[in-house]
Amino acid sequence: MAVRLADRPFVPHEELADFMAGLSGEGAVVSFAGLARPCTGSGETVERLVLDHHPRLTLSSIEQIASAARERFEVTALAIVHRHGAVEPGEAIVFVAAAALHRRPAFEAADYAMDRLKTEALLWKREDRDGGSEWIEPRGDDHWARERWDQTCPE
Amino acid sequence: MKVLFFGKLRDALGDEYEVDPGQGETVAGLRRRLADLHPVAAGELLSPRVRACVNDWLVREEFVIHRGDTVEFFPPVSGG
Repeated sequence: MAVRLADRPFVPHEELADFMAGLSGEGAVVSFAGLARPCTGSGETVERLVLDHHPRLTLSSIEQIASAARERFEVTALAIVHRHGAVEPGEAIVFVAAAALHRRPAFEAADYAMDRLKTEALLWKREDRDGGSEWIEPRGDDHWARERWDQTCPE
Repeated sequence: MKVLFFGKLRDALGDEYEVDPGQGETVAGLRRRLADLHPVAAGELLSPRVRACVNDWLVREEFVIHRGDTVEFFPPVSGG
């Protein structure tokens, strides 16, 4: 399991290549890259994102999410890279990769890790726009996405 | 005692500062004292959505803080 905080830009396809170089015999790899958007939903220009982090607890919060994903799904390898500091539009904010013998656990582990990263990773995201700055909080659908993993099917 | 702020609170109050805890002062008491000192951030400081962390452990509001502790306040997080 590889979890890393990056204070500089990283290249998702290079992370994926590194991840895949460490595999042996898996039949499925799923990866996700989250990118900084150049404008808001209402069309306002975003100059940059600023991700505030905690010097110790941010990494451990992401490691806990990665461990939970590995315990919950039958994945053989999982990697998470997360930026902090100033992120320019177009740059990657987060990269998640999961490998498994078959595709379903790899899809689910990556999806689960992202849903928890959005709502639980110890990071604080500020959008610096033309018209001012705003600290971003998870939206209702982010919380819904997180909570669906805790729901059990009725008997 | 060191007090550190993150996210929105860091923008409003700065990175950190030193303050002496009162005798038997709890996290809730410290929040009220800081809110009185910084009315501009009172809403955030008193919000139950802002979690308190002492020496890298999330703590309850009744947790008693001591000289030498590091107290941190975490607004709602947003990763990914």
